Amino acid sequence: MHVPLNPSLAVDFCGLRLASPLVLLSGCVGFGEEYTRVEGFSNRDAGAIVLKGTTREPRLGNPAHRVYETPMGMLNAIGLQNPGADYVIDRILPTLDFTETAFFANVCGSTIEDYVEVTRRFDASPIDAIELNISCPNIKEGGVQFGNSPDMSARVVEACRRVTRKPLITKLSPNQTDIRENARRCIEAGSDALAVINTVMGMAIDVKTRKPVIGNIQGGLSGPAIKPIALLKVMQVAEVARPHNVPIIGQGGICGADDALEFIIAGATAVGVGTALFYEPHCCKRINDGIAAYLAANRMESVGELIGSLDAPKKSVQACAC
Amino acid sequence: MNNPGPAACSIDEKGRGRGAPPERRVHRDTIFVEDGRLLSQQQYPGEQFVIRIQAPQCAAAAVPGSFAHLTCNPERPMRRPLSLMRVDAKAGWIEILYKIVGPGLAALSQQPLGATISVLGPIGNGFSAHPERPRTLLIGGGVGIPPMVFLAESLKTRRAGTPWQPLVLMGSEIEFPFRARPSQILVPGVPNEAIACMPLLDDWGIASRLASFGGFPGCFHGYVTDLAAHWLASLDSQALGEVEMFACGPTPMLQATARVARRFGVPCQVSLEEFMACAVGGCAGCAVPVVQADGSLAMKRVCVDGPVFDANAVFPPQVS
Ligand SMILES: Cc1cc2nc3c(=O)[nH]c(=O)nc-3n(C[C@H](O)[C@H](O)[C@H](O)COP(=O)(O)OP(=O)(O)OC[C@H]3O[C@@H](n4cnc5c(N)ncnc54)[C@H](O)[C@@H]3O)c2cc1C
Ligand SMILES: Cc1cc2nc3c(=O)[nH]c(=O)nc-3n(C[C@H](O)[C@H](O)[C@H](O)COP(=O)(O)O)c2cc1C
Ligand code: FES
Repeated sequence: MHVPLNPSLAVDFCGLRLASPLVLLSGCVGFGEEYTRVEGFSNRDAGAIVLKGTTREPRLGNPAHRVYETPMGMLNAIGLQNPGADYVIDRILPTLDFTETAFFANVCGSTIEDYVEVTRRFDASPIDAIELNISCPNIKEGGVQFGNSPDMSARVVEACRRVTRKPLITKLSPNQTDIRENARRCIEAGSDALAVINTVMGMAIDVKTRKPVIGNIQGGLSGPAIKPIALLKVMQVAEVARPHNVPIIGQGGICGADDALEFIIAGATAVGVGTALFYEPHCCKRINDGIAAYLAANRMESVGELIGSLDAPKKSVQACAC
Repeated sequence: MNNPGPAACSIDEKGRGRGAPPERRVHRDTIFVEDGRLLSQQQYPGEQFVIRIQAPQCAAAAVPGSFAHLTCNPERPMRRPLSLMRVDAKAGWIEILYKIVGPGLAALSQQPLGATISVLGPIGNGFSAHPERPRTLLIGGGVGIPPMVFLAESLKTRRAGTPWQPLVLMGSEIEFPFRARPSQILVPGVPNEAIACMPLLDDWGIASRLASFGGFPGCFHGYVTDLAAHWLASLDSQALGEVEMFACGPTPMLQATARVARRFGVPCQVSLEEFMACAVGGCAGCAVPVVQADGSLAMKRVCVDGPVFDANAVFPPQVS
């Protein structure tokens, strides 16, 4: 019997029903309205939109240059330019249309108190979920300094957990020795979900001037160049997160439906799109269509059936690849 | 950042809005993504190229000063921002002048006629010329020439209402991306040696003069900003009160332009360049410091808050 399938793209994420597994990533889509400038782009094509990293006080960010193309990717060192939590909550959130998609905050700080204070303010706002960015490589204090230590990560999560009942997502850095241990500690500390991965640290040099191209010297590498790294990290974190039913937003270099499917198969419930929007502002529609076509072709009714369906022999993963 | 709306249209029981009212959403659907078709590609000395691309939506909505973000090569998928030099809304094409800097534009120069080039545009706030200052002084340096051509052409077509008197000054250290010839139009106040012009502008009846250290015939020997200062110095105070300056080019040239404008007390708008990723306001990759009306410093995005800014706001006296 062949019943034509019309698979659903909707996913359940920490009790939220996202219309699509696609999540537009923090720092790539401003504060939620920027890409609507583009005709044919709609916030409705994404299950959720993560707003730019927000700190307690406004930040001007890093000096130029802040972005630079590298082979199959790009470096960025924006330096968390943002107008501060109060402005975001009082002036920007009221202008967003929450019927179009879900909006997540992305919280960053230099101290644990900063994280707690910004989380507390967002808790009292209409935001749908709060992502703790303990993995920003582009600021001098805080950010990735918390994220690279499982102890510090857990302390940030624990402290923020106390001040919010909204879904709490912890965004993990790939720039650390054992992402599994960090993920485990964040889950124990009360994280409802994990975002894997933030950018990979890198740099570029202008050989004519012998100066670093990026004003901040180092930047975060994103785009297709980091996809294999991200995919492995998602698979590793999924092993830790699955027993706790903790969903993952897989991200890093996703440009097409096949990329998104790989992340879902590796264990991600939702998949992030950042740099690909810079290449092709309409990519969400294409990725959604591709996922739906794959589900239909494989006679699956929902994305849920595919999550973590990786068919890999157990215990075959060698730490050394040489 | 977003323009904050005073209040949302409606708020649900969880305090979640349904977005700003329509009048605060005028930004929506203003930039188009099109599969442009390469109609022509003309090479000039110094690895300069003029290309024409069929991109009707971009052409129809463009204003002088706006730019397009082009995919030059699928192997290097980041787009490159390039100013619009001319557009024909009826015929649906845009024209761009570029000089190869690195692999992105090198790849663009290799595209065959008929090739598909993704065009994201038009982007950015353009120049605004004020009728009470009809003596418009346009200064273009190197690949900063294109927006000046666009502005000049638009002043020509707008001429009916205001008696615009544009003077376009162009500077280049390599050969100009057109065949310069002696101008048919007299411009009092510029040194006698400066007689070469851009033929296209001359044919439109718009005065232009060229400056270079390259020793090209008919060109003013020196910086284009020195040529501008010559002309401004020839005006009496009433005439100076009718001048408005517009500039696009390398940063040192823009800084010098800002100084000249201040020296003569003339308002000036400059078009900036910065490395870009999204070009629609999403990444803050292109932000530059801009002095606000109250003297405070804010980071503004060159792509959607600019690329045109008030010269004093981006090159304040103490910095430039
Ligand atoms: C609003 C705007 C309008 C512009 N208009 C023109 C124009 O009309 N004609 C023209 O020839 N050039 C123009 N430029 C500059 C042009 O975008 C760069 O020269 C071009 O991006 C260089 O690309 P590439 O691949 O040749 O060089 P690469 O050095 O390989 O570029 C590497 C990276 O650096 C960036 N980059 C390097 N130089 C610049 C620059 N000056 N501005 C912005 N990004 C840069 C590129 O976009 C890319 O991401 C404009 C720039 C801006 C921001
Ligand atoms: C320009 C830019 C700015 C970013 N800003 C932030 C940020 O403020 N907070 C954050 O958690 N991640 C930030 N990121 C990381 C992205 O959210 C994402 O995790 C990363 O780019 C990997 O996904 P991608 O390859 O699809 O871009 C930024 C990335 C880019 C390219
Ligand atoms: S290039 Fe992204 S905000 Fe301007």
